[in-house]
Amino acid sequence: MSSPNSTSGPISAGGPISARGPILEARGLVKSYDEGRVEALRGVDVRIDAGEYVAISGPSGSGKSTLLHLLGGLDIATQGQVFFKGSELGSAVDLDSYRSHQVGFIFQAFYLLPTLRAVENVQVAMLAVHESAGNRAERAATLLEEMGLKHRMNHFPSQLSAGERQRVAIARALANGPTLLLADEPTGNLDSVNSARTMEILSGIREQRGMTMIVVTHENDIAHAAPRHIRIRDGRIES
Amino acid sequence: MLAKFMASQLSFTGFAWKNLWRRRLRTLLTLVGITMGIGAFVALVGFSRAFEHEWMRMYTSSGIDIAVVQSNLLSSSIDESLAAKISAVPDVAQVAPMIFNLMDLTPEVNALVYGWRANSYELDSLTLLSGHRFQDGTTEVLLGDLLAGNLGKKAGDMLSIQGTNFTVVGIYHGSTALEAGAVIMPLDQMQIIAGMEGKVTAFHVKLRPAPGGASYDEYVKRASAAIEAALPGTRAYPAAERAANNQIVVLAHSVAWGTSAIALLIGILGIANTMAMSVFERTREIGILRALGWKGRHVILLILAEATALGFVGGLLGIAAGWGGLRLLSALPQTASIVSASVSPLHLVESLVIAVASGLLAGAYPAWRGARLSPVEALRYE
Repeated sequence: MSSPNSTSGPISAGGPISARGPILEARGLVKSYDEGRVEALRGVDVRIDAGEYVAISGPSGSGKSTLLHLLGGLDIATQGQVFFKGSELGSAVDLDSYRSHQVGFIFQAFYLLPTLRAVENVQVAMLAVHESAGNRAERAATLLEEMGLKHRMNHFPSQLSAGERQRVAIARALANGPTLLLADEPTGNLDSVNSARTMEILSGIREQRGMTMIVVTHENDIAHAAPRHIRIRDGRIES
Repeated sequence: MLAKFMASQLSFTGFAWKNLWRRRLRTLLTLVGITMGIGAFVALVGFSRAFEHEWMRMYTSSGIDIAVVQSNLLSSSIDESLAAKISAVPDVAQVAPMIFNLMDLTPEVNALVYGWRANSYELDSLTLLSGHRFQDGTTEVLLGDLLAGNLGKKAGDMLSIQGTNFTVVGIYHGSTALEAGAVIMPLDQMQIIAGMEGKVTAFHVKLRPAPGGASYDEYVKRASAAIEAALPGTRAYPAAERAANNQIVVLAHSVAWGTSAIALLIGILGIANTMAMSVFERTREIGILRALGWKGRHVILLILAEATALGFVGGLLGIAAGWGGLRLLSALPQTASIVSASVSPLHLVESLVIAVASGLLAGAYPAWRGARLSPVEALRYE
C-alpha cells in the first residue's frame, strides 16, 4: 500500500512547511485489543494538512489517544493505514526514524527520566540521531532557554514544578526539529495558570516554526481554540 | 551563553552509567559477584599456570629432557628395575628414577617431597648452602631454603615425615619454588613412606648432546619414541609436555578451571539478574525512549553497555582481588612452596576479556527483551 515515490530509509529532517497539503492521512483505521474483544477505533479516516493546528476531543475511552498514537507511529493499526507525506508508516517509512526525525511527543504525565537533569532529558532524545555531544548540549540549553528555563536546566525533574516539567518535555519534543508536534492531554496535570502558559508556548512554537500540531484534550476551551476541532466518540469521528 | 556553557553533556555511556548508579547497592552487589568470579579465575588459573611454569623451569634447570611414566594412569607407578632398559637406549646419557608427592610436614605446612637416588644428576643443579648430600639407605633429608625458613630448620635438626624421623643433613638453594620449597630424601626411604617398594613415579632422562644438524625438539621426540619402543606400557614425554601433564599440575588445572567456572557462572547470573530486574523496572522509561525515536538496537546497546560496564569494572576489581589473593597465598607458609605470585600480562588480558564477555552474555537476553517492548505498551506500564 505504500506510494510509488516512497522511501524505506530514514526520512528527511523536519522543518517549516511552506506549501500546504496533506502531511498526514489515515484511512480506515481500526485498532482492537484483547483479541478483538475491545475496539478502540472503528474505521477512522482523517486528513491533516501541513501546518494545521488540530484539536481532538472526546470522552474518556473514546479512542482519541489511540488515534494520536497511530498517527505518531507509536502503535500499529489492526486495520487501515497512516500515510506521512504520501508514504505509508510502517512499510515505506520506518517507524523509529519517523518518531525520531518527524514527530515530537508531549504527554500528560511529562515522562521525564528521573535520574537525568532537565538539560539531559532534552539531550536523551538526540542520542538516537548522530550529533556530537557538544552540539546536543548546546541545542538542549537553547531550547530550555526558549522555554524560560535557563536557570533550571541542571535541576532534576523532582526539583521542578509541574509547569516546568512540562516545558522541559516540550523542549525535548523539539530536540530533533520535528515536523509534527503531537500532544496527548498536555495540560491534564497542570493548574489553570500553567495550562494557559503551556498552550501559549505550544501555539507560539507552531506559528514560529510552521509545524503541524495535533492536541488531544478533554478541555473544551483548548479544543475550541484550535482552528480545527475533531470530535471522536466510541472509536468513530463524530465531526 | 554561560548557561549553555555550563549545561551538562549527556553521552551514551554517561547515560548507561547513571542507570547503573541509580541502584547503587544492587550495582555494588553485582560487582562483588563478578569480582569474585574473575578474582577466582585470576588467582586459581594464574596459580595453576604458574605452577606448570615452575615445573618447566625445574625440568630445565635440572637438565631433564624426557620424563618416562606409566601410560594411561593418572597416578604413575613403574618398576624401578626398568631404569636399565632406558639406559640401554643409545641417546640416553643418564636416568634418574624418582618419586614425588605432596605431604603434610606439620599441620600448617605442606610441601613437595622428592625421592631421589644419592647419585641422581638432578642433585647437581642444586646449590648446597650448608651441610652435605644424603646417603642412600639412610633417614637423611635435604631441605630447600624456602621450606627450611618456613619450618625454622637448619642442618643437623630433626624432621618428622609421615611418622619417620629424618635428620636434615643439608640446606640447598633451589631456583624454583618447587625446589626451594621441597624436601629431598633417598629414593629407598620415599618408597617405604609411600608404600612403593621397588616402584617409582617416573624416570627423568638426560639425553646425550644432540647430534649436529638435528633440532633439539626432533631429537627429543626421536629419543622418546625409542624409549617407548623399549618399554611397552610407558609414555616418554618431552620435558615441556610433562610439565603440563604431570598429575599435580593436571589436578591443579582441573580444580582451578572448575572452581573458576562455577564462580564465573555465579557472577554472570548476578549480572543477568541485575539487568533483567533493571529492564523490568525501567519498562516505562524504555517506552519513553522508544517514543523519542530510539530504535530497538539503541535500547540493546544501552543495556549491553550497562552489562559490559559491570563486567569491565568487575573484571578490574577481580584482577586486583585475584592478584592480592595470589600474593597472600605465596606469603603463607602452608602454600608458599607451591604458589608463585607471578601473573602473566596475557592472563590479565584474558581475565578482562572474559569479564567483558560475561557482561555481554549476561546482558544479551535482557537487552533483547527490552528492545522488543512495544513503545505504547511500555508507556502504559505501571
